[in-house]
Order: sequence, then structure tokens, then C-alpha cells
Amino acid sequence: MAGGAAGEAQCLSYAGCNFLRQRLVLATLSGRPLKIRKIRAKEEDPGLRDFEASFIRLIDKVTNGSRIEINQTGTTLYYQPGLLYGGSLEHDCSPSRSIGYYLESLLCLAPFMKHPLKIVLRGVTNDQVDPSVDVLKATALPLLKKFGIDGESLEIKINRRGMPPKGGGEILFACPVRKVLQPIQFTDPGKIKRIRGTAYSVRVSPQMANRMVESARSILNKFLPDIYIYTDHMKGVSSGKSPGFGMCLTAETINGTILSAELASNPQGQGAAVLPEELGQNCAKLLLEEVYRGGCVDSTNQSLALLLMTLGQRDVSKVLLGPLSPYTIEFLRHLRSFFQIMFKIETKTPEEEHMGGEKVLMTCVGIGFSNLSKTIR
Amino acid sequence: MEEKEKKKHRAKHSGPKAEKKRKRYLNDLGIGDEENARKRNPKAFTVQSAVRMARTFHRTQDLKTKKHHIPVVDRTPLEPPPVVVVVVGPPKVGKSTLIKCLIKNFTRQKLVEIRGPVTIVSGKKRRLTIIECGCDINTMIDLAKVADLVLMLIDASFGFEMETFEFLNICQVHGFPKIMGVLTHLDTFKNNKQLKKTKKKLKHRFWTEVYPGAKLFYLSGMVHGEYQKQEIHNLGRFISVMKFRPLTWQTSHPYVLADRMEELTNPEDVRINPKCDRKISLYGYLRGAHLKNKSQIHMPGVGDFTVSDVSFLPDPCALPEQQKKRSLNEKEKLVYAPLSGVGGIVYDKDAVYIDLGGSHAHEKEEEEVRPNHELVQSLISTHSAIDVKMASSKVSLFMDSRPLGSEDVEQEFVMPKEEREIDLKTGRVRRKALFEEEEKENDDAVSDEEDDQEEEEEEAAAMSEDGSDGDDEDDAEEESDRELLGEEMALGRAKRLKTEVAKEEAVNELPAFADSDDNLEMSSEGEEGKTAPEENEMEEDDDDDDEEEEEEDEDQQRTYENGSSDSEFEAASKRVAESKQYEINREDTEMRSQISDHSLKRKAVLTTDSGNCTAEEASESEVENSSIDEGDDEGGSHDELEAEESNGKEFGHTQAKKADSIRQTKLKAVEVEDDDVENLLREEEEYEEKIDFSADTTGALKWKEDLTQKAAQAFLRQQRSTPNLRKLIYGTAVEDEDHESEDAGDELGGLFHVSRPDKASKQKVNALDCSKFLIEKPQDWDLEEVMSSIRDCFVTGKWEDDKDAAKLLEEDEELYGDFEDLETGVVHKGKPAAEGDESGSEEEEEDGKTSKPEHEEEEKKKERMDKKRKLKEMFDAEYDEGDATYFDDLKEEMHKQAQLNRAEFEDQDDETRVQYEGFRPGMYVRIEIENVPCEFVLNFDPHYPIILGGLGNSEGNVGYVQLRLKKHRWYKKILKTRDPLILSLGWRRFQTIPMFYIEDHNGRHRLLKYTPQHMHCGATFWGPITPQGTGFLAVQSVSGTTPDFRIAATGVVLDLDKSITIVKKLKLTGFPFKIFKNTSFIKGMFNSQLEVAKFEGAAIRTVSGIRGQIKKALRTPVGAFRATFEDKLLMSDIVFVRTWYPVSIPTFYNPVTSLLKPAGEKDSWSGMKTTGQLRHERGIKLKQNKDSLYKPIVREKRHFNKLHIPKALQKALPFKNKPKNLEKKGKTPKDQWRPAVIREPHEKKISALLSALSTVNNYKIKKAKVKHREQLKEYLKVKQKEDEQKFKRQKEAKKKIYRILGQREKKRQKSSLKGSSKGEKNM
Repeated sequence: MAGGAAGEAQCLSYAGCNFLRQRLVLATLSGRPLKIRKIRAKEEDPGLRDFEASFIRLIDKVTNGSRIEINQTGTTLYYQPGLLYGGSLEHDCSPSRSIGYYLESLLCLAPFMKHPLKIVLRGVTNDQVDPSVDVLKATALPLLKKFGIDGESLEIKINRRGMPPKGGGEILFACPVRKVLQPIQFTDPGKIKRIRGTAYSVRVSPQMANRMVESARSILNKFLPDIYIYTDHMKGVSSGKSPGFGMCLTAETINGTILSAELASNPQGQGAAVLPEELGQNCAKLLLEEVYRGGCVDSTNQSLALLLMTLGQRDVSKVLLGPLSPYTIEFLRHLRSFFQIMFKIETKTPEEEHMGGEKVLMTCVGIGFSNLSKTIR
Repeated sequence: MEEKEKKKHRAKHSGPKAEKKRKRYLNDLGIGDEENARKRNPKAFTVQSAVRMARTFHRTQDLKTKKHHIPVVDRTPLEPPPVVVVVVGPPKVGKSTLIKCLIKNFTRQKLVEIRGPVTIVSGKKRRLTIIECGCDINTMIDLAKVADLVLMLIDASFGFEMETFEFLNICQVHGFPKIMGVLTHLDTFKNNKQLKKTKKKLKHRFWTEVYPGAKLFYLSGMVHGEYQKQEIHNLGRFISVMKFRPLTWQTSHPYVLADRMEELTNPEDVRINPKCDRKISLYGYLRGAHLKNKSQIHMPGVGDFTVSDVSFLPDPCALPEQQKKRSLNEKEKLVYAPLSGVGGIVYDKDAVYIDLGGSHAHEKEEEEVRPNHELVQSLISTHSAIDVKMASSKVSLFMDSRPLGSEDVEQEFVMPKEEREIDLKTGRVRRKALFEEEEKENDDAVSDEEDDQEEEEEEAAAMSEDGSDGDDEDDAEEESDRELLGEEMALGRAKRLKTEVAKEEAVNELPAFADSDDNLEMSSEGEEGKTAPEENEMEEDDDDDDEEEEEEDEDQQRTYENGSSDSEFEAASKRVAESKQYEINREDTEMRSQISDHSLKRKAVLTTDSGNCTAEEASESEVENSSIDEGDDEGGSHDELEAEESNGKEFGHTQAKKADSIRQTKLKAVEVEDDDVENLLREEEEYEEKIDFSADTTGALKWKEDLTQKAAQAFLRQQRSTPNLRKLIYGTAVEDEDHESEDAGDELGGLFHVSRPDKASKQKVNALDCSKFLIEKPQDWDLEEVMSSIRDCFVTGKWEDDKDAAKLLEEDEELYGDFEDLETGVVHKGKPAAEGDESGSEEEEEDGKTSKPEHEEEEKKKERMDKKRKLKEMFDAEYDEGDATYFDDLKEEMHKQAQLNRAEFEDQDDETRVQYEGFRPGMYVRIEIENVPCEFVLNFDPHYPIILGGLGNSEGNVGYVQLRLKKHRWYKKILKTRDPLILSLGWRRFQTIPMFYIEDHNGRHRLLKYTPQHMHCGATFWGPITPQGTGFLAVQSVSGTTPDFRIAATGVVLDLDKSITIVKKLKLTGFPFKIFKNTSFIKGMFNSQLEVAKFEGAAIRTVSGIRGQIKKALRTPVGAFRATFEDKLLMSDIVFVRTWYPVSIPTFYNPVTSLLKPAGEKDSWSGMKTTGQLRHERGIKLKQNKDSLYKPIVREKRHFNKLHIPKALQKALPFKNKPKNLEKKGKTPKDQWRPAVIREPHEKKISALLSALSTVNNYKIKKAKVKHREQLKEYLKVKQKEDEQKFKRQKEAKKKIYRILGQREKKRQKSSLKGSSKGEKNM
């Protein structure tokens, strides 16, 4: 850094396209420029994929003044973040990844925009790779509320469902803006009081959903009587372009923790056909697995919770998590390199035997982040 | 007489006192009193009017809520940094004097010259950093941002000066710190009344500026060039009890007011390129918020930097530890001001600086010790390297022995070589000890560093002790006296013996000194030898380390004792042998002191020798060793003859010990025969040392207290909290560094390298980016045991005891179950919960029979009481404290959070804590910065404050910043758009080009050419992003002084963005070239068809006000269009369209680098000049458009034609409206003149006569008139008289008549009363 002008902060450099979203999101929030090299440099088809390009375009849409430079082959990306702008937007997501891929990052950015974000995302709503829109709706939104990001306008609305490979789904995501976030102390998950879920089916027999529900209930009923799984069969224009079905389950505790699990059928023309009964059972088992892992935050939203803790005021935040996912671990490293923040990590073994596996207590002091985009009048 | 004069006491019957008494009296009687009245007559006090009631209620609520502030989490650290006191005022007002007096008041020290901040301990819980602020506006701005308290000096003999108001305004903008006025020069007033008046006047002016009631101090006069002691004392007390409110900017940003600067640049680089960028380290107390390593900072006056390293150091000006005492003792009244050359010992990461100036102890030392230090002196003055000297020097151990050369010694012992640089003038000593082995492994930086540290520690301690050397001796003597049961004989002998041995010891001196290892024997020359006390102190430092070894050494003690109980001669020879093994020697001396306590006086002599400065240790070790000693020393006393043997033994031991000590100091894993525990501890120590090394260099040895215990605890703690996860995620500390560097440039790919093998990372680099946590091996959830593993996660599972509903219910039953129905007399008993309880309740029933132990019952009782209390609390919480408002709840919440913040990392050691939360405020930190412009170092001036202001996230970036701005009401000019302006915003001072705008009613930002006079306007500039709501101020120039007020504008940041829309008005004009009825063809407005197409439908207007609309472009001429208007145009009309043109903002951001200017010119920074200034300087005149010049307005006289009314109309008009054509009767024309009459002489005579006659006649008539008038007057007078008389007569006549009438009447009445008709007849 030259002594003179307030130039740009130190540029961070990474290699490889993995964790691209994390890096772009954190670069945007921290205001530090970012360089990613060697994006699939050694592969036959080098450079950024269409879904990544679409993601970068989305980032460009929600920000103002960002500079994005991609080299000829697409193997190097330079990103100089602008300020988060927000507003009413529309974006066509690439059908090769589901909307969840995009939505996860938007959830991180949305509270810090200049204008409240109201975005229509089009593409695949549910697939087997990314967390589906249903799961994010059920888990991420309550999590945001804990940090003080709430209000009427916080919503995810599924207008149309779209299954891979062709997609055709549409959702609306709206989020209010906040100047500062509240610190959280979220160390007691509490006991699970109810299980809810959605079994959806598009362009297949509506009976599929019921069959999934039946089989899932058969497993979950051994633990809890309060189970209700909605069947959601969409027709006509709101059913997207490809057939498919799937299910997502959420377990809610008395303290408001929501754990989730989901499964979707194989996309049309890929892999063997899946029986709905089997899918229902597997999904229920996945939920039990998630319950075993436990924690106050769902395994898919660990990184979101940690990010919002980091971006809190200069107060101590605590959260109890299940085992950290590889994505979260990488996220923690990124958090350190972008925000110089380190979490205090303590492993907690539940005192009693029948409370699932080991937990991790994450503690940090927020960096005192304030929304620099928000205008004061 | 006297008795008469005395008045009798009269009780008061009115006034507030009497009222009170009466009330009390009535109260006693049980009547009267308002409350009673309220009770007596409740109806009178009911609500009269609901509206009024509501109003009063609202009002009280309003008043209540007005007092509330938004609660904030209290983030002040437990040990807050020193309070920054800025002393500000115009020149020659007495700032430096005040600072000196304050320092003297608090610390009893006199500072001669003050440069930079001075930190002092002012009380048990408060430290102050006092800094002087000059009149340079840069300094004023910088210091206003970091000040907690401002002492504003005002020259009362002169009154307020601009600087005062400027500083106040700067403060107002950057958060208002506490401000205290101090009036000086009050002794210049001879007239007391004048003084009073001035005080009052100044006070009220000050109040309007700060707040009504702001404290203003009066310093009446000077005594011997200082302010009066009592006044300064009072001021000091005010300062030390003052409370401060947190300021937003300060609490949300970390900052350091640097009190020390060191340059770390490689000298070689400087040699090659003297102008190369430098690396510096800055020191100071961290304030505000937590500072993270590698974060961005701004140095006002220099620029933006990234912190390359931060470390915390021991507090150089620590608060006293125990708080029990009422006041500080002299030792605790510390002062620390490295820039002024005060502060005693200064610890660095890799060096120790000792400052000896100013301390009286040092003077003493200089006087007494130095002359005797010939050896040291010679060493100091030597210019050849020490090892060369050492090699050449020879020592004779005994009077007649062969002189020993260094080679002789070195064969046997590893000696640390010493490099010492003493600058006696500045009093800084730097000494570096290099061990042989170390030299080999010089690359091992850690050990090196440590070693240095230890060395310096010793030295530091030594230096601090040096002064009090004599005292120490006395102490030691005293102690030994006590121990010797007052046998002063010993001391005398000691002295005598010492002189005996002196020669030999003198011989010993050289090797002993050259060896930095400790030798206690040297202490016998404590008075003469400078090194000796040092070494003693070093022992003190080391004794903790050695404590572990003491255990092992216990068996060896016998030997030592033997040795010590030898004759002096033997002892002396032994000393020579031991001279390089300080550890053993220390113990040795300890032993000796023990022995001296209990055994022969001759030994006691030795003790007094060696114990001179080690009394403390002696007493410490006494406790541990006394038991053994007591047993042994008798034997020891008998073992004199075995001296030689024991000496030999000792040699063996000492070798081993020495090895040990080397290991310890160098942190090398040397195999030592120790038990396992010790090994562990050592490892732990190594770990600890690694961490603590920056911290534990203090002379204050508090951290060393029970080190072993701490080490053990730390080890266990480490074991307990599995660091594996942390390691997995963050890697170890060392790897971190690698990773950081790799991040910057290495090809291998950043983070992945950290904790994973390369292979894995390479695979992962381009893996699928997915946040889902996939389950590799799902458990079989059909199995019963697997299912049971999560059974309790559900509400259907088992609950914890304190939450289980059934259990809670049971407890309730237990508590409230038993009651007696009073009506029926039936006793209900609660279900006994447990066996014990039952027995308890039984006991209660059968009072007398105390078969069970009583304490059990008591316990039960207690338990029950506890439960009841808990329940009561719950009940109270539910019902009593129901009126807790939202505000209270919020406050409570904040309080809880504050407590959590404090508690969370409290138990961790600072090194780990720093990693989690960053460096916390209150720490003394050392910040390394690279790439600092060389001018900063070259032109360094300690009089100017150096501030390191931490920047938040993306506050280091630049963008467009929107402000709300108002020209300062005292600034004489208005500001012009596009003129460079210097802003102070956040930490920064910079020059930029703002554009002023005003927001129109429709939200449009319209450019203004100048700021409005008395109104806010918007401003946008391109510059550093600073959070919204931050205040700023603007000045036109920071150089020089002007008599006028310098602050040009103030305001606040509203918005930050990367793009901006400010527009200015643009009128495009065109001319009709063809006019139809209401349609015209207009040309000259646009240049192409496309342009026209863009403006289709736009509203246009002519200058004369005819409105219209653009319709469509025409083919020819280019840019012409068809437009319609509301009326027909004239060819002479000009048509225009009003448009808005976006203005671009110049991307100009130029930090004010005032600190880079050479000394003496620091207040002369000038950046970009305004065009006006440039023109003025170069004498360029602006070429003005002729049309925009003002010319005298020449107005032609207008003539109007007459109103012409047609004849026909005239005729028809009524007369009054008819133009009256009567011309004015002017002179009659000549032709109309009547002919003049010329008279005949005769006629003339006649007429003359006639006129004469008429004159006479006239005169007569006039005369007659006058006469007549007089006559008339006479006549009237007479007549009046007559009238009066007549009136009189009449009156009398009337009177007469009435009297007669009245008499008659009377008579008649009388007669009528008589009732005779006679009367009537008479009538």
C-alpha cells in the first residue's frame, strides 16, 4: 500500500473455482478486491461454467460500481466490489444449478443493500445438488429473523416449480435492509416439537406426493406424533418444464431451531427412476441424521449463521452447531482472511447419551459491521 | 435596663417553618394533612376532567422519556487506556506550564521539555495521557478526534481568540469530548471589579459555546513560573474524577495515539537508497475498539497503510495492582513519555531501552557508582569489539598466580559475549548477549530473541535497582541484623573481611563481569561494581525458573553448605570456580544466608557479603529450605575440613546446572534427567514462552508468580480443549504466516495448502461448489440403538431435571402440598418426595423428639426456604415488576450483553484472546507499518501528534460521498463549486473537489454554483468511503494563519455510492423558420434527427411565454423539427427547451500529508489551488464575456401621444366627461388688449383731486370707525354694569317676595294646625 491515497485494500488471490460464491460474497461485503486464477485451467473445458457466469452477472446486478474482469479463456477472474445496491430485479439463473445456488449468496448480501432487495429468480427450484428453495425458505428465513432481519417484506415465494434439467421455476425473494445486526446467543437448540415438510410433484401423478408422505411418516412416527407433511402438486404453467418429485422435511424445536433434510428424484433422463416410497424413507432418515448432528442451525445454513455473527456489532455471539461441513470450514478460513476474524471453537459432547453426536460451540466477536450502502435521510 | 431590652422569644406564626410545625402538630393529633384530607373527602379529589388528566399524564410521560438515551452496550474494557487530555489554546497562554504543573502535581516529577504525549498515573484507577495542541489547524483537527477531555486555555487578559472557537467547532463536528475551560493570566487585572466582570463575561460566552454550566477554571497567578499549587491540585482532582461519555466514532474505531516511534528499515536499504520507503514501529495505548492484525489504518497527515504486525507489550505505565490503599505511593506514580525522554525502562519486542534521565536515583548512581566503574568505563569507551578486548585481557586469580587469559576460561565454560552500547547522554543502554551455541544457531530467531529479552530484563532490573543500591544494601544489612539477633559484630567483621578479600575479588572481576552469567560473589562489591547489582537482580528474575530445580538440588545443598562454611579463603577460590554459574550460585548464596542465620558468625560474615542485595531471595528461599538447613547446617559447620572435596563435587553439579540453564534460556531441547512431570512442564514452558515473550519482559515480575503452577494449568487447559478442530480449520500459528505469504504470491493456491496435503487441495481447487453437507455413511436408522441415540432430542424423550414437567410438578407438590383446612381442621399433607424429606417432616411434627441429627433438618429447611424464595422471586417478577418498560428491558439486554462480552474471553491468556477478539483497548501495542514514506522518518517531529486510526471494512475504499453541508456562519466567503476544499472526515484530512447541489422538490439534485449563505445544501465529492452519519468540517487551506475564522463549512455524511446524479440546467435554443397558424418549424436547436427523436414530446417555450411541444423531426435542414404552440409565433421569437445535464465529479482525492513536511514547515501544507488563487498569483485576468459585464443602465425618456377623442364621441359624451377644451387664461394676446386711455391735464387734475378726496374720505371713515368701536366698547361696559345691578336688584326683590311667601306659608300652616278658619279669613 502506498502511503498516499486511500487506494484499494489488499487484493486477495485464490486459485480454482471452488468456493467461488463465498469469495465473491465476502469480497463484496468486505470491500476487498479479489483475484481468482486457474479456474479449471487443466480441464478440457477450461474457464467459468455458465452457472458461474450467471452468478457473476447476478452479483453485478445487485451491486453498483463493481468491476469484473475475466480473461479470454475464463480461467482468471478479477473482481473489484462496488456497493450493494438492491432494488427490484429479475434474474434468469442457469438451469445447470438450482436457484438455491444463487439464493444462498443473496441471503448473505440482501440485508446490506441500499434499497431493499426484491428479486425474481427463474430456473430450477429443486434439484439434488443444492439446497432447494423450500429448505431455504423453511430454515434460512427464521435464521435471518434471529439476527434482527425481519419484517413483512422478508419472504421467499415460490411462484412456479421447475425441476431439472429444463427448469422453468420462478421464485420471488424479498428482504429488508438493516444498518446493524443483533448479536445472538443461540446455544440451546431445545427439543424437537414438530416435524413439517413438503412433498412436491410436478408433471407426474399427484399420487406420488402422498406415497412419499406415507413412507416418511412411517419412520418419523416412531419419534414424534406431531408430523404434518404438505403435498404440493403444481399444475399447468406453474409446474415448470420437466417432470419430477421430491420432498423436504423440517424439524422444529421448542426454541425455534429448524433442522431440515431433502431429497429429489433423479432428473428426467438421468439415472434410474426412483420410487417415491423409497425417497420418502430416505428423506426421513436424512432428517434423523440431521437431528443426530444437531446444533442450533441447520447444516446447510451454518455458513450463513457464522457470516451474520461476524458481521454483527462488536459483541460476543455464540451459536451451537453440529459437525462443521467442509463448506463451513472453508468459509471460516475465508472469514479470517477477509475479516481477520477467528472463531473460538469448542467441541461439546452432549451430557446425556441420547442427544445425538458431538456439537461445536462457535463463539466470536462481531467486527462492528455497518451497512455502508444504506442512505440516511 | 438590660433585662428590659431583651425581647421575649416569639414563636413564628407564619412562613414555611411554622407551616411545617403546624402540620406536624396536626398530624400528631391525627387531623389535618392533605393525605388525610384525601381520605376524608375522596370525592373532592376525584378526576375533575379526563382530558386534563390525560394531558398531565402525557406530560409526565414526555418528561420521563425525554431523559432517555438510546442504550448502548457498554464496551469499555476492564482496564481502560489512559484518558487523553488535550491542552489547547492560543500561543503564549500557558499550555506547557499547565502540563508541567499537572505532571508535577500527579507525579512529583518535573519535566523540563515536553514533546509528544505524556502518560501519567493519576489515581488508583485512572491514567492520563496529556498532550499539548498547538495552533496548527492540522494538529487541532487530529487531536480533537482522539481527545477525551479538552482543557481549553483562555488568556483572560486578552479574551477569546479564534483558535478557541475553531477548536470548539472542530470538536462539535467530530463528537463532543468533555471540555473544561481554564482562564489564565488573571493576575494582570489590577482592578478587582474589572476582574469579576471579565470572568463573568467570559464564562457566559463559554457557556453559550459549550453548554450552560460548563466548568471554567480560574488560574489566578503564577508563583515562580508555575501556577498556584492548590489550584492545580483542584484541577487535577477535577480531572481524575471526571466521567466521560462514549463518542460514536471513537468507540467504533480502534486508534492509537503513538507515544514512540522506531525505525526498523534495513540500514543497508537506506544506504543504497536514502529515499526508500521505510518500515517503522509505533507504540501506544490502544483505544476505542478492538484492533485486528493486518487491518487497515490511517495516519492523519501521512496516509493509509496496512498494519503489517501488531503485538502487545507490557504496560509501561501500569496502574497499581492492589486497590486497597487509599492513595498511591511514590513508586506507583509513574510517568511515561518516551518522546520527551522520560519513562524509565522501555521494552521493545527485541530490545530494551533504559532511560535514566530525570530520576533522582539515577543521579545518585551516577555520582556514586560511576567513578568506581573504571572497568565499565573503559569498556564503554572502547571502540574495539568486546571479544577482541576480552581475548587480550588477562586476569590473575591470585596475587601471585599466572594471569589467566580468555582462552583459559573459554575452554571450560560457555560464556555469553556481551555487546553493550551505552549512550550515557540519552541514558539508553542496549546490550546484547550472544552465546557460543547460539551463534551457531543464529538462524533460530526465537531463541535469539528470547535470549536478548532475558538479558535485557536483567539489565533493566539492574538499572532500576542501581540507584537504590545503597538502600538495598541497607535493607539487606538490616535483615541480616535481625537474623543475627542484633549482632552487629558480624557486620563489622564482614566489612573487615571484605577488605581482606577485596584484592582477590578485584582479580575475579574481569571474568565475572565478562560473563553475563550471574555471580553472586560479585555482590560483595555491590557498592563499587555496577554489574554486581545487576546480576543480583537477574537472579531475582531467574529464581522462579529455578524453583523447580530446587527440589532436585536439595540433595546437593549439603555440599553447598559445606562449601559455604569453608574458610573465606577457600570460599574465595571457590568463587572463582563458580563464577560462571549463576544459578547454582544463587542457591548457594541462599544456602549461605540460611547458614548464616543459624550458625557461626564467620559464616554470617559471608552471608552479609553475598546477601547484600539478595535479601529478598534469601527470605523467600528461607521458608523452603529452612527445615533442611537446620538439620544440615550443624553438620556443615563441622565439615570445614572437607572443603576441598565438596568443592570438587560442586564442580560436577555446576556443570550440569549450567547446561540446564543454557537450555532454559535458549529453549533448546537438551536432555536433562528429569522426571516426567518436569519434562511436561518444560514443554509447556517452551510453549508459554513462545507466546508470552513479548509480554513477559517486564521488570515487574507479576507474571512470574507461581509460574510452575500456571504452566501446569495452562498445559492441562490446552489438553482439555481439543485444539484439533481449531487446528484443522485455522492451522497452527506458524503455518498461518506461511499461508498469508502464499496467499500473496505463491502459485500453489492459497488456503488449501494450509492444513491439507497438496494432493487433496489440488483436487479440491476446482471441485463442485456446494454448501450441502453430504452424508458419506448414513447410519442405519432402523436399528433400535441408533434410533435411541437421538431419542432425547425430541419432546417425547427424557428431559433434563430442571425442565421436566413431571418432576417440576412433583416439587411443587412437595412445597405446597401440605396445608390445613382451617374450617374443617383437616390437615392435608403433601406427597413426601423423598425418604429424607419424610423424616424431616416427621421431625417437624414431633417437636421434642429430635431423634434425627439436627443439621439434616436444617438443610432441609434451607432447601425449602430456597425454593420458596425462588418461587417468590418468580411471582414478584411476574406481578411486581410488570411496569418495566421497553426501555428498561432494552437496557437490561444491553447490560447482559456487556457482561457476556467481558466474561467470554476473560479466562484466556492474552495471546489467544488477541486472536479471537483482536487487540483490546487498553493494551499497550506496538504496530509495525511498512512502506512509510521516508519523509515521515526524516522529518519526524515529536511535537506533532501521530495518530493511528483504524479503518472499518471498506472504509479504505473510495467512492462518491454525499454530504449535507452548511457554510459556517462565521466564515466570511461563500464556497464555490469545483473549488478544491480540505475536508476533515473520519480520521482523514484530505483535499477534494466537492460539487454543491440542492435537492429540488421532485428529488432532482440540481447543481449550485455557490453554497447558499444561511442554508444547508448537498455536496458530493469523490473520496474515501466513511460511514453515514459521520460529521465533517471543511477548511479552505491548512497553511498559515489568517485573522479570520478558518472553518469554512460543516456537515454530515448522508450517503455513499459508486455513481452519482447531479444535474445542471441546460437550455437549448432554436428559431422558427416557418410559421403556420399554431405550428412552426424550428431550426438550430438540435444537430441531428436522432437528437430530435429523443426529445419528441418535450415541452418547449418561447421567451415571450408561448408554450408548445416538439412534434417530429424534419428531413431538412438537419436537426429541425415541427412543433406546435398555443399561439402563433413571430419570426422574432426565440424558442427554447429546458433540459438537465448530468455533471461529472472530478475524481480528485489528495490526503493532506502535513507530517511529511520538514520540521518547522509542517503547518504549511498546500495542495491544489483554486483557479482564483492561481489567477491572483499570476496576475491573469479573467476574460469576461462582454455581455455579462454590468453597464450603467440608460433609460430613454418616454413620450406618450395625447389621447385623441373623436369629435362624434366627444359630442355624445356627458359634459363632465367631455374634454374641457378651455385653455388656461394666459396673457391676452396683444390684439385683444384694450387701448390705453390717455387723459387730458384737466382730467388729470380732476382725477388727482378725486383720489385725494377719496383718500381723505377714506381716512375719515376709518377714524370714525375706530371711534365708533371705542364708543361701543364703553357702552357695553356701562351696560354690563347696569345689567349686573339690575340683576342684583331683581334678586333681592325676589328674595323679599319669597321670604314673604314663605312666612305666609308658615303662618298658614300654623293656622291650619290650630284649625281655625280665622287664619284663612285673615288671609
